[in-house]
Amino acid sequence: MNLIEFQNVSFAYGTQPVLHDLSVKIEANSFWTIIGPNGSGKSTFLGLLSNILHPQKGMVLLENTPVSQYSGPSLASKIALVRQEFIPVYGFSVFQTVLMGRFNYSKGLLFESEGDRQAAKDALEATDTLDLADRSISHLSGGERQRVFVARALAQETPILLLDEPTSHLDLKHQVKIFDLLKQMQMQKGKTIVLVSHDVNLACQYTDNVLLLDRGQKAFFGTPAEIMGSGRIESVFQVTGFHGTIGKGGFFMPLGRLSKDKSP
Amino acid sequence: MNILTPQKLFVRLLLAAIVLAILMSACMFVGSEPISFGKVLEGPGPSGFNLDYTIFMQVRLPRVILAAIVGAALACAGVIFQTILRNPLADPYILGISSGAGLGIMLAVMLGWTWSFAGLSPVMLAAFAGAMAAVWLVWGIGRFTGRSQVTGLLLAGVVVNAFFSAVIMFLTSIAKAFQLQTTLFWLMGSFAEIENTNLLFAFGGVCLAGIVVLMLLGTRLNLLSYGADQARAMGVPIEQTCRLAFACAALMTAVAVSLSGLIGFVGLIVPHAVRLVAGSDHRQLIPLSALTGASFLVVADAAARFVAAPAMLPVGVITALTGGPFFLFLLIRYTKNIHWGHL
Repeated sequence: MNLIEFQNVSFAYGTQPVLHDLSVKIEANSFWTIIGPNGSGKSTFLGLLSNILHPQKGMVLLENTPVSQYSGPSLASKIALVRQEFIPVYGFSVFQTVLMGRFNYSKGLLFESEGDRQAAKDALEATDTLDLADRSISHLSGGERQRVFVARALAQETPILLLDEPTSHLDLKHQVKIFDLLKQMQMQKGKTIVLVSHDVNLACQYTDNVLLLDRGQKAFFGTPAEIMGSGRIESVFQVTGFHGTIGKGGFFMPLGRLSKDKSP
Repeated sequence: MNILTPQKLFVRLLLAAIVLAILMSACMFVGSEPISFGKVLEGPGPSGFNLDYTIFMQVRLPRVILAAIVGAALACAGVIFQTILRNPLADPYILGISSGAGLGIMLAVMLGWTWSFAGLSPVMLAAFAGAMAAVWLVWGIGRFTGRSQVTGLLLAGVVVNAFFSAVIMFLTSIAKAFQLQTTLFWLMGSFAEIENTNLLFAFGGVCLAGIVVLMLLGTRLNLLSYGADQARAMGVPIEQTCRLAFACAALMTAVAVSLSGLIGFVGLIVPHAVRLVAGSDHRQLIPLSALTGASFLVVADAAARFVAAPAMLPVGVITALTGGPFFLFLLIRYTKNIHWGHL
């Protein structure tokens, strides 16, 4: 069954088109990575799926119902969103921040339950951020903050996780940890993961499908092996580079004009 | 792990309430005319006239309660505007309320209205009406401008403030000297004399209801601090929350303005001071700011009565003169290891 479906979706900011006539079907319990150059519509894709943005044409369906027909709480019980970094003007502690993911469960009560606190604690442990619990969110490094925001999304306990470049500020160890964690969430808890990333190689080690966007349109869709062999990465990103294989999969190393392997 | 529990919140609010009660009690005995605690306790006495008791019951008690209501309302409204607009410089007057109320006051004084309605003077009513009209206008323009509601509201506030200020300047240039003096006293912030004490309770009731509603919105306001889109994605009904919080804050500010004119600084500084000491959790920040704002204004008003006695200073002068240095002290004390972002 298709969990998520984009039907001929077009979206523009004012007169600036971002997505054009995009149709995509995402199955439940799958791991998707969306890649593409800056401004190709990746974050807009997540915005439309989480009903923050609304398509000018076409429909975005969740379980065969347009996302616009979901109430805020019912959509928040299905989709958790990790957006690109947003630092609040006024500081909250890490634990307070992760507890906010439990808003949908506290039913408007003033205080969280013991269960909510446990869920927040588990999410902190899973993202390796428990020791930061009492620190102010504004005093963390970019990478620590990203892990906390992933923890908040985990605390929301939704079947779908949308993540917009969740590893862009992370060191190698934590990049791998976050991808391991997401894969674990998919395999053990049956979650559906839709992730925007610029790290094609790392994503391809974990993801089931890759959607390559180019100026708001589907440039390629397929498995990691298919996209690596398609030559579309070079043409869409307008780079040349080196293809290799590692284990069962391939990788692509972009090489600039002055890189050591190219310059005379 | 440091989390807000009902017990913690209760103890902190109780402590702040005790401090407020002590300050209110002490400040009732401050003023140009000294009164004795013992004589006040004697009551009206057999002759039916006890000067100390009369001053206490008819002048000091209502005034201290009034200062507490206004302080609580302004501090609370300050928290809300700073959060909704995500702007640390926001105060209750940022969205045109000051100029709206100012214009109302100016018109009431210049037209020489002398009638009263339910114990309210025309100046008070005009200030309230002007404040609400300005807010309504700003909210309407802000929504009309579309996508980024925060920017739209702020710009609408600037436009409405500028327009109303221009009208005030025009009226100032044609006003008579005595009218200017009356207007200036209101604009600098000073407490009205309330003859009808039931009215005081009504105003207090409105503000208390506002504080309770805002406190119940505390969790939503916490999420809103991470941006409207993120809060919506976590299930917060953004439109409803912003409208309700905005309406409460605007109403409380309008009530405060009609009771006391434009008292600056309380709504800006008190929320930041409380954030520095107790953190940004709105479930705690809102009631604590209300109690702290009340305490601050009660003391500031006592100082306004005492410093130049028998003359009475506008309380706005005291709040600005003392609030600034006090805030700086807090800032230095609590930011040794914390930078501004912690606010």
